[in-house]
Amino acid sequence: MKDRDDALNWFMLVLRRDLTLSFRRSATYITPLIFFLIVVTFFPLALGPSQSLLSSMASGIIWISALLSSLLAVEGIFSEDYRDGTLDQYFVSSEPVFVLIFAKVLCHWLVCGAPIILASIISSIFLYLPSGALIALIISLLLGTLFMSLLGALGAALSLGKSAILSAIIVLPFSIPTLLMGTAIMSAAINQQDYSGFLLIMGAMLAIGIPGLCLLTVEAILLNYE
Amino acid sequence: MNRIWSGIKNWLIAMGSPPLFYRWATSSLPWLAGLAFLMFSAGLIWGIGFSPADYKQGDVYRIIYIHVPSAILAESIYLLMAVGGFISMVWRAKIAGMLINSAAPLGAGFTLVALVTGSIWGKPTWGTWWVWDARLTSTLILFFLYAAIIGLHSSIENKTKADRAVSILAVLGVVIVPIIKKSVDWWQTLHQPSTFTLTSSPSMAPEMYLPLLVCVLGFYCLFVFMLSNSLRGEIISRERDKAWVKKQFFKQ
Repeated sequence: MKDRDDALNWFMLVLRRDLTLSFRRSATYITPLIFFLIVVTFFPLALGPSQSLLSSMASGIIWISALLSSLLAVEGIFSEDYRDGTLDQYFVSSEPVFVLIFAKVLCHWLVCGAPIILASIISSIFLYLPSGALIALIISLLLGTLFMSLLGALGAALSLGKSAILSAIIVLPFSIPTLLMGTAIMSAAINQQDYSGFLLIMGAMLAIGIPGLCLLTVEAILLNYE
Repeated sequence: MNRIWSGIKNWLIAMGSPPLFYRWATSSLPWLAGLAFLMFSAGLIWGIGFSPADYKQGDVYRIIYIHVPSAILAESIYLLMAVGGFISMVWRAKIAGMLINSAAPLGAGFTLVALVTGSIWGKPTWGTWWVWDARLTSTLILFFLYAAIIGLHSSIENKTKADRAVSILAVLGVVIVPIIKKSVDWWQTLHQPSTFTLTSSPSMAPEMYLPLLVCVLGFYCLFVFMLSNSLRGEIISRERDKAWVKKQFFKQ
C-alpha cells in the first residue's frame, strides 16, 4: 500500500512541477496553438474558399492539423530534462520510472492538447463543419491527442538530441490507426450514425497504450545512458 | 520429443553467437543460392510459360507470380524483424539486432516490388495505376514503417544502441500493424481477397496456384540467401576488432 502511495505522490509531484514550468513559459502552450491555427488556415488558402468543399473536408483538416501540431509540440518533451539532469534523478530515484514519464506526458497533453481542442472548436466554425458533429469532434480529439502525445513521447525519446523530422518520420506511420478512427467517428457523426463503437476502440488503444508506450519510452530513454 | 526440442534450442543458442553463425552461413550459402535459383526459375518458367491464361484477364494475370510472393514476403519480413526485436530487447542477443538491420532494407525492397507490380497489374485490370484501397494503403504504410526503421537506425552512430532503438520500434510495429490493417479494412476495400489462406482450399485452378506456391517458396529461399549474405557482411564489419575475425582473415 505504501509503495502505491509513494508512486502516486511522485506522480503528482512531477505533474505539478511540469505544469508550473510550462505555465511560467507561455511559448509551451501558445506555439502549438498558433501552429494549429496556421495549418488550418492554409487549407482554405490552398483549396479555395468554396463552402461545400470545406464543409466536407473540415473534419479531416482539423484532425490532420491537430495530429501534426501535437506531434511537433511533444518533440522537445525530454530534451530540457535530459540536459539539466532531471531525468537522471528519475532513474536513480528507485520509483517506477514509467509512472513519472506518464506524468510528463499527461502534463504535456494538458498544456498543449487542451488549447488545440479549444482552437478546433473555433476552426470548425471557420471550416463550416456540420454543427451536429461538434461533440464527436471534441470527444475524438480528446482521446486522439492523448494517444498522439504518448506516441510522440516515444518518438522524442528515440530521437533525443536529433532532428525533429526524424521523430516525425518514426511516429507518423504509427499514428494512422488513430487518424482513421478519428475520421471514422467524424463521418459517422456527420451522417448521424452511432459512433460509440469507434470510440470504444480508441479507448481500448489508449488503455493499452498508456502503460505499453510509457514502458517502451523508458526503454528508449535508457539508451541514452549507456 | 524433448530431445528434439532441446536440440533445436541448443542450435538456436549456438546461432546466436556471431562466429558460429558466420561459419554456418558461409558453408550453407552455396546451397541456399542453388536452391533459391532452382525454385525461383522453376516457379517463374512454369507460371509464365506453361500455366493457362486467365479467362478474364488473359496473360496480364501472370504478374501474380512476382506480385503475390513479394507481398507475402513484405509482411513476413516485418514479423521476422519483430521477433528479432523482441529477442534483442529481452535477451540482448547481438545477432538479433544485426538481423533487424540486414532484414529492413530487404523488406523495404520486397514491399516496393509488391507495390510496383501491383500498380502495373492495376492499370490494365482496374484502369488506374493506384486506388486508395485497404490493402494497397496498408502495404504503403508498411513501406513507411520500414523506412522509419531504416532511418532511425542510420541516424544513431553507435550500432549497438541503434539496434536496441530499432528493436523498440519493431516490437511496437507488430502490435500496431494488425490494428492498421483492421482499421484500413473498415475504411475501404476493393482488392480481391487473399490468394492463399491456411484454412481453406484456394479458389484458383491447381495449374495456376501450384506454380505460385513454388514461386512463393522460391522467394523465401531467395530472401534467406540474401539475408544470410548481408548478415555475414554485417557481422564482419561489427566484429572487425575481435580476435576471431582477425584470425579468419589475416592469419590463415
